[in-house]
Amino acid sequence: MLIPISWLKDFVDIKLPLKELMWRMTEAGLTCEAYKKVGDDIVLDVEVTANRPDWMSIVGVAREVAAIQGIKIKEPKEEKLPARSANFPIDLVTNFELFERWSAIIIKGVDIKPSPDWLAERIRLMGHAPINNIIDITNYAMYELGLPMHAFDYDEISGQIMTVARSSGGEDFTTVDELSYKLPKNAMIIKDSERIIDLVGIKGGLNSGIKPSTKNILLHVTIDNPVLIRRASLALGLRSDASAIYERGPDKGATVKALKRATALILKLAGGAIASEIIDLRKSNFLPWKLTLTPEKLDKVLGISINPKDVINILSKLNLYPIKSGKNIVCTIPTYRGDLKIEEDLIEEVARIYGYNRFTKTIPEGRVAEKQIPYYFDDSFHLNLKHILNASGYSEAITLSLLSKSTLDKFRVESKGLAKITNPVSLEYEYMRPTLIPGLVGAVKINSVSPLKLFEIDKVYPSENYKLAGIATGVTFRQFKGAIDAIFDKLGIAEYKIDFETDKKYLHPFRSASISIGKEVVGEFGEMSPSVLNELAIRGNLFCFEFEVPSLKKHSKTGTYKNVPENPPQIEDITLSFPPKTRIGLVTELIKSIDKIISNVELTDTYKDNFTFRIWYQDSKKNLSDQEVEVIRSKILTSVKSKFGGTLRS
Amino acid sequence: MINMQEEIINLKNEAIAQIMSARDSAELEEIRAGYLGRNGKFTNLVRKIKEVPAEKRKEFGITLNESKKAIENLLSDKKQELIKILTEKREWFDLTMPGLKPSIGHLHPLTQVLAEVKHVFNYLGYQVADGPEIETDFYNFEALNIPKDHPSRDTQMTFYLNSGKILRTQTSAMQGRVMEKMKPPFRVLVPGRNFRYEQVDASHGFEFWQVEGFVVDENIHLTDLFGTIDYVLRSIFGNETKLRFATTNFPFVEPGVDTYMRCTICSGRGCSFCKGTGWSEIMPAGMIHPNVLKTAGIDTKKWNGFAFAIGLSRIVNLRYHIQDLRTLTTPDMRILSQF
Repeated sequence: MLIPISWLKDFVDIKLPLKELMWRMTEAGLTCEAYKKVGDDIVLDVEVTANRPDWMSIVGVAREVAAIQGIKIKEPKEEKLPARSANFPIDLVTNFELFERWSAIIIKGVDIKPSPDWLAERIRLMGHAPINNIIDITNYAMYELGLPMHAFDYDEISGQIMTVARSSGGEDFTTVDELSYKLPKNAMIIKDSERIIDLVGIKGGLNSGIKPSTKNILLHVTIDNPVLIRRASLALGLRSDASAIYERGPDKGATVKALKRATALILKLAGGAIASEIIDLRKSNFLPWKLTLTPEKLDKVLGISINPKDVINILSKLNLYPIKSGKNIVCTIPTYRGDLKIEEDLIEEVARIYGYNRFTKTIPEGRVAEKQIPYYFDDSFHLNLKHILNASGYSEAITLSLLSKSTLDKFRVESKGLAKITNPVSLEYEYMRPTLIPGLVGAVKINSVSPLKLFEIDKVYPSENYKLAGIATGVTFRQFKGAIDAIFDKLGIAEYKIDFETDKKYLHPFRSASISIGKEVVGEFGEMSPSVLNELAIRGNLFCFEFEVPSLKKHSKTGTYKNVPENPPQIEDITLSFPPKTRIGLVTELIKSIDKIISNVELTDTYKDNFTFRIWYQDSKKNLSDQEVEVIRSKILTSVKSKFGGTLRS
Repeated sequence: MINMQEEIINLKNEAIAQIMSARDSAELEEIRAGYLGRNGKFTNLVRKIKEVPAEKRKEFGITLNESKKAIENLLSDKKQELIKILTEKREWFDLTMPGLKPSIGHLHPLTQVLAEVKHVFNYLGYQVADGPEIETDFYNFEALNIPKDHPSRDTQMTFYLNSGKILRTQTSAMQGRVMEKMKPPFRVLVPGRNFRYEQVDASHGFEFWQVEGFVVDENIHLTDLFGTIDYVLRSIFGNETKLRFATTNFPFVEPGVDTYMRCTICSGRGCSFCKGTGWSEIMPAGMIHPNVLKTAGIDTKKWNGFAFAIGLSRIVNLRYHIQDLRTLTTPDMRILSQF
């Protein structure tokens, strides 16, 4: 909403310097962070919150500026109109569900011409082009008082009847600015005996609009159903100053006052004479209401005690007519303050004008919850995983959780059963990701570093389970696998099993596997399918893994301390040759299981079919003799030979 | 027997020769282990004492011990000598030689800042909750006193799912979920991802992160809200942080509060990030609206509370002077390796 300072000054003196005024308005809730200079004038740009229709007007802002400065506003007086000089017939058929109030008047013999300079200039300051005196006056009165109004060419109203109704949908309607629309269902419309002549609260109709030849006009102010206005303007993509006011709910008590203001201006600038009574069809009388403020509640909510005199003073400056009633303060709320409904609303009024930045600052004293709250979440396991991956050289990425059908297709992921957005910003972001892998793989295309190692821990959908995924390029399989070993090692998960198949079609058909603990599949790892990579135009190979975080958490163990053996271990390297297609991981498992004095086995070197294992022999109670080690060593060689055909390299 | 004695002497001489020509401590230690260690040559000779005739054993023992002693002394002298040479004779050593860095990964800035935020609130007695991102209209809007067709929904354009649910537009959606399941008092912190229908550009994204917080207790004041915001933002941004509070309207709070922090990017001079105002809107808040408490079945005569939302993405941006929102969700090592 634009507020020219020159216009504001018609109603209130401005004592504060501009920057301070803008900040005090913002502090009081009328956010004003920008302004522009237009000639000698300054136009403020204010952001009006959804609860304050009154701030959608110059007078409303003037009231606020007056309260901030502690002064009185020059309220516009209700105009006195001359008596009617004719009685043109009109039949208004209302419906209180659509129009809570409908006020109208007919003026005959107007002279349509351009507005005088002062009026045209104010319309321009509000960011619009002047059209003619009548249209400009209706807009002027709306900006000034915050009530949208509309002028019809009286002679175009067929049958002198106007009926407010809901559209049934699909009707053609041409607006006063000559744009054609198909109406949605349940838009509010006014019909005469033949046609739709108004799209209520949004745009007038071309058929009944003011033309250069118009002589007689019907001017009306309506209080429209805000929900229907909002739905229709959203459906048509037609937002206007008027619809923005209607959605917030304008002053139901001031329709006649606004009508008189516009009428007086018309008589002055366009001539003519009044040709009807003021018609005022209303659901109720729309009178001010009472609201009580109790000092205990005020103190309790605010946490400071404001002098009762100051409280009265603040409420009085806001035109809320505070009256002491025993300990309490009873306010009379003017009809333009529809936002003041409960005591807390009054408390905010006191607090904001008193000034939030004058409050002391405290920390809540009370108790903290004794029990764990619902939805309690301990992210220390996630942080632990992140630290393990960091130490393994993986950096954390956070990628978008929406992806396209085409990405799903490329990764051979079925879109059935996924969470799909019905109004996506674009087809790029239509599905909620069921896996973190595509987002991380996408990173390969924007990174040129090698090796590239990234991981992400986040939710997948629609389950909203957390997953841990990682990708690596420019590394060997053993380097990649090392990070997975490190994760399981650090989590204390020893009993896991590699299953040589997965249901993940984006993985390489035989260079990938799933990992299970007991009967539970916790994730999968391996090389990305070459055909997937080819479609993604990624060269070279890529390894990835993805695990279910809750499963990892469930199976992770904090081990107990084991005493450091007093005697040093005997360590030796044994190089064995194996036939092709031997699973070396299983060989290490076998060696480890041969005797409990084998405390560790590591693969230290590979060359063609030769594999060097470093073996730790350790007895916790005594030094091992060469003979004892020799016995175990021959057991190893025998087992490896019988199970895998491995032989000691000569 | 002569052979054994000779063997000892020969071994001793051999050791002496090696010790004399040793060039550094490591070499010296290797020599020591080779003669006197567990499998050292002298140690092995000791084991042969059984082979020596009983009457000669004493002599053998003496020779062996003397030799060992001599070697030990020489080792010790040589060590002193080497230390002297190493420290007194200046040799070229380049300390500016670049090191070989271990490859440690980087934690995402959102993770780092969130950990910090949680730490601060943990100290104030808050517990962390994690709730659904796929949400119902009821918890996201209606339980928060935002009926259907309310104009404030304009600022929270919503994604709809084929299941009929929506993607939450605010972590405040967790207020109703927690409140209806638990009796006050409680202090709750809800970090999480939110979605709003926005075209993507430098200052807009359809995904962003917030940390919602709310407190319900018997005697909660607006001053408690101001004090909490002040404490939290100073803890995160430092004591010199400048804040100011303004009134605002959200249907689920009354009174409503907006928090502005002196822009850390331009130090208040005005920049594109703070739209030239020098102040950045960072923590909308307010006293919980009685309708919200009532909807969750909480007696408003007894209980009240406050709620706030921290724009986590915004805090990260202000902390690291990031001007383009898309930076945080771009997995580019040129970005990630800076954190």
